[in-house]
Amino acid sequence: MPLDTSTYGLALLRVDGRRWNELRRIYAQIRTQAAADGSSYLEMGHTKVMCVVTGPSEPGPRRGAGISSAGGAGGGGGGAGGQSKDAEVVVNIVIAGFSSVDRKRRGRSDKRTLEMQSTLANTLAATLHTHLFPHSQITISLHVLSQDGSLLAALINAATLACVDAGIPMTDYVTACTAGSTSTYAANDEGADPLLDLNHQEEQELPGLTVATLGESDRVVALVCESRVQISRLEGMLAVGVDGCKQVREILDQVIKAQGQKMILEGTVDKGTGLNDMDLD
Amino acid sequence: MASSQHVLLSPAELSYLHSSLSLTPPIRPDGRSPTQYRPLSAETGILPGTNGSARICFADGTEAIVGVKAEVEKTKRRWDDDAIYSENQPTEGEGQQQPGRDGDNGEESGSSEWVELTVEIPGYRDDDSGTIFLGQMLSEALLADGGFVRKLRINRRFHWRLYLDILLISPPLSYPLPLLSLTTHLALLATRLPKLKSEGDEDPFFDDDWAAAPYLYPRDPSNKQKVVERPPVTLLVMAVGGNIIFDPSKEELAVADVALAVSIGDDASTAQQIQGGDKMDVDSFSHGSGSGRNLKLLSIRTVDPPSRLTPPGVANAANSAYGHAQVVSSAGAGGNSQKMPEARQTESEAVEGVWKPPRGGAKAIVMGALVQKVLIRGGVADEVLDALEGVDTS
Repeated sequence: MPLDTSTYGLALLRVDGRRWNELRRIYAQIRTQAAADGSSYLEMGHTKVMCVVTGPSEPGPRRGAGISSAGGAGGGGGGAGGQSKDAEVVVNIVIAGFSSVDRKRRGRSDKRTLEMQSTLANTLAATLHTHLFPHSQITISLHVLSQDGSLLAALINAATLACVDAGIPMTDYVTACTAGSTSTYAANDEGADPLLDLNHQEEQELPGLTVATLGESDRVVALVCESRVQISRLEGMLAVGVDGCKQVREILDQVIKAQGQKMILEGTVDKGTGLNDMDLD
Repeated sequence: MASSQHVLLSPAELSYLHSSLSLTPPIRPDGRSPTQYRPLSAETGILPGTNGSARICFADGTEAIVGVKAEVEKTKRRWDDDAIYSENQPTEGEGQQQPGRDGDNGEESGSSEWVELTVEIPGYRDDDSGTIFLGQMLSEALLADGGFVRKLRINRRFHWRLYLDILLISPPLSYPLPLLSLTTHLALLATRLPKLKSEGDEDPFFDDDWAAAPYLYPRDPSNKQKVVERPPVTLLVMAVGGNIIFDPSKEELAVADVALAVSIGDDASTAQQIQGGDKMDVDSFSHGSGSGRNLKLLSIRTVDPPSRLTPPGVANAANSAYGHAQVVSSAGAGGNSQKMPEARQTESEAVEGVWKPPRGGAKAIVMGALVQKVLIRGGVADEVLDALEGVDTS
């Protein structure tokens, strides 16, 4: 079903009623699972993902279950994890058969899944302080329960939350968001607006990219573009995407602070010295 | 995952666990009684994009999600279908009312190919033998009596194809069979299929009002919460010494003599007959009121317990560190002949407090006792089904 983009020019509203710079509803939870070292649940619109982090732990005897990234020094990729000076980040994405509208089973060797796994592993290996955990492995398993566009962005955000929950030291939040453009590549439309946070319908039709930034800075840690984009529009899309990442960071920060307050109030963790100024009401 | 995943326990620990589980009553590491399940929290209808979904969290932190999706598919026709069609036409009305009477004529019965069940366990390949075995056990229970696939029939030309995707979210901390089975049970209870508007053998045409969609497992018309028939559940039971233990944890499974996956169904139609039909029935009378569940056995599978792969302990008498060294060293040239019978003896003889992995098959009497214990009225199976009945599936 082709997306009707002709109406955008009239009211400047997208198919789901958002304006160009509006995010979909983001709902997130951390510490969703008692047995895991770290876990999170994230909804971006109708895209729903769950993340479970195990580790840093001793690397198991089995390998090759997911895409791994031996950060920097390892060099040898998967095989080097046990001996390398840095922790190895292993990412494992399971896309549930029931997640899309028509049931489509994707095997573990699906090319798109593999690419998302390696993007995530490289992004996180660059941000997590893996040098603090030599000879160990951080396993991140992600489950996609429902997908409606911006899948990679949702996976990155969920993985960040779960890593925070697992208490793995990291430079800053890695937050991701998608951006697109209102008219297709072929349409030589000068007045094309950039769009923030594409849903599945828009993702199918319009050019788009996924961008991940580090904390509040403008530093881009991951940029994935799988469609043809006119170079003149790229700058606008990137600017909107980076701006969206900052909004996402705000939301994730709120979620983590709320969870932290809850844990202090429940007495799960001691109130640290630096937390006295935190408003606990 | 294989049930035989490695448990990092020493022979001494295994022996301790085995003897405490063999006591009467057994002492379990987590303090449960032998028939007690791990507490769980459950919810259904969590994914609006599916026909039915459920999520269960066990108290030990393991979590599973099951989603059910349905598609309309054209039924493959057999070459002799027309012949059957013309033969059966006069009696078709009767056949509709009493499905199961003539379940083998290919028309009323479904095919097990209409149900596709996949199990996903993080970190394990989907063609891992353990994963396939788990999926096989779960689908076997579902397809055992052919009643389930009969529900998927739309008309002579079309049927529903049901996809069950079972996801284990947490790392597999214990053998996940009970968890996956209970989650599948709830997801199937919550499954609804669109209401059929077309009649007879027309191309199917459905009501687009989801609120009107009937449940796959129909509800009692008088009481909306009550389900007439329930999907099967698979229970994991194990025997240690003279004890039968339900829902074993990973450590407990590591010392099991026998582990069995028993699938049971709730035969509601006969239960109602007993309760409603003749109140003087001895069976229902003797078991008091309420627990009139008529359980039927659907399938049994033996699960290879990891205990067979554990290393045996060495008795002090055979241990060179405890003075036995002299025997071995002084034997000199004839050492081998002296050593061998000794070694064989420790292999075969059970020494108190020394772990010895179980050898050989299970005794028939033990298997019988295990199945009996599952099927006993008012027993664990009843408790589990009662507990699942308490979950809101509407």
